[in-house]
Amino acid sequence: MTAGLILNATICFAITASSFAFAWVLASSEDKHNEKSKPALWALVVLWSLVALTYLPTTIRMIASVTNHPSLDLMMYNLAAIPFSMVTVPLVFFILYIITGNQKISGYLSFLFILFGAAYLAFLYSNGVIGPIMTEYSSMFKINSDTAINIYLVGLFVIPTAMILGLMMLIFLQRMPRHLRYRTTLPLVAISFVFDFMLTDMITDMDVMQVAARTFILIGTVLAFLAYFPPSTLKKTLGIETSLNESYEEEENGL
Amino acid sequence: MAFEIDVEMEQKVADFYQSLGINQGPGDLQYRIILLVLNKNEGKITEFADIREYTDNFADKGSIGSKMKTVFQLEGLVEKVKRGGYMITDKGIIAANFLKDTTDYYKKTKRMGDMIDRMP
Repeated sequence: MTAGLILNATICFAITASSFAFAWVLASSEDKHNEKSKPALWALVVLWSLVALTYLPTTIRMIASVTNHPSLDLMMYNLAAIPFSMVTVPLVFFILYIITGNQKISGYLSFLFILFGAAYLAFLYSNGVIGPIMTEYSSMFKINSDTAINIYLVGLFVIPTAMILGLMMLIFLQRMPRHLRYRTTLPLVAISFVFDFMLTDMITDMDVMQVAARTFILIGTVLAFLAYFPPSTLKKTLGIETSLNESYEEEENGL
Repeated sequence: MAFEIDVEMEQKVADFYQSLGINQGPGDLQYRIILLVLNKNEGKITEFADIREYTDNFADKGSIGSKMKTVFQLEGLVEKVKRGGYMITDKGIIAANFLKDTTDYYKKTKRMGDMIDRMP
């Protein structure tokens, strides 16, 4: 029992550390971005920070269940629900800002998702949760409100996922250089990966599926990191280097 | 088909095509304006004055007349119906439709370029 929980805690900690690191690296690369891309960059920083803030209490929660502290487990579950319900907000802003280029409209529309998140939290807290149920790999809680689950599914999951898919379709339908296609699609795939598996993690009642979902969240975070900072070997393999060599200039007669 | 001709927009589209190394046809502002005016007056006679209404700010009378003769008349895009009066031919309408596609392509490329610019 303990080994499975420790594995779960380790995965949660790895998600926390890698998401924080990614958010930090993105934020510190601010000066490399142009003015137009800065709002989207900050939305990404907030998004990855919220992912990290969701999994930090979850790590503590897993440790609490190993050390048999159910009250701390419950407290951390309730704490993790706050950043989790707000993950949609920067995501919606990011996608809308990229499509429309209008910060105000994107801001107002993403504010709507704060309301969705708040409604989810209100139903979650007012109806409470059932648990913790100790299993081999995890400590599970069951959400005691169908309304909260429905709000999450419709407002916080379906709409943002449709937005990501829509933006990816827009990009796929265009003919563009391979390195640009890589730079634009892979972050979206990674975000969608993380986002979708966070949902699975939150609503599943199977411990093995929860561990698998968390593993995929970790993979998604690494994927997002590779999307923004691809190593040179990967660049060579995929043929996505913007320039293979230094500008080649040689004066030859007739050439 | 009635539509307004936006010279500034046409200038941007022509500049875009010139930046791709296409200096004739879609990349030539004079060609674009002449063809758009001819297309606007489809079925009617287009006079030089109709074209010069748009081109006076950037082209002299001689260059428009010369382009009309060496490109449009020579390639059969227009038919001369009187002194200083031309009518667009079916082939000219094909060219005008292609020109509209080049504008759409420019807009699509620019929109996608702007989106990529906003992507961190």
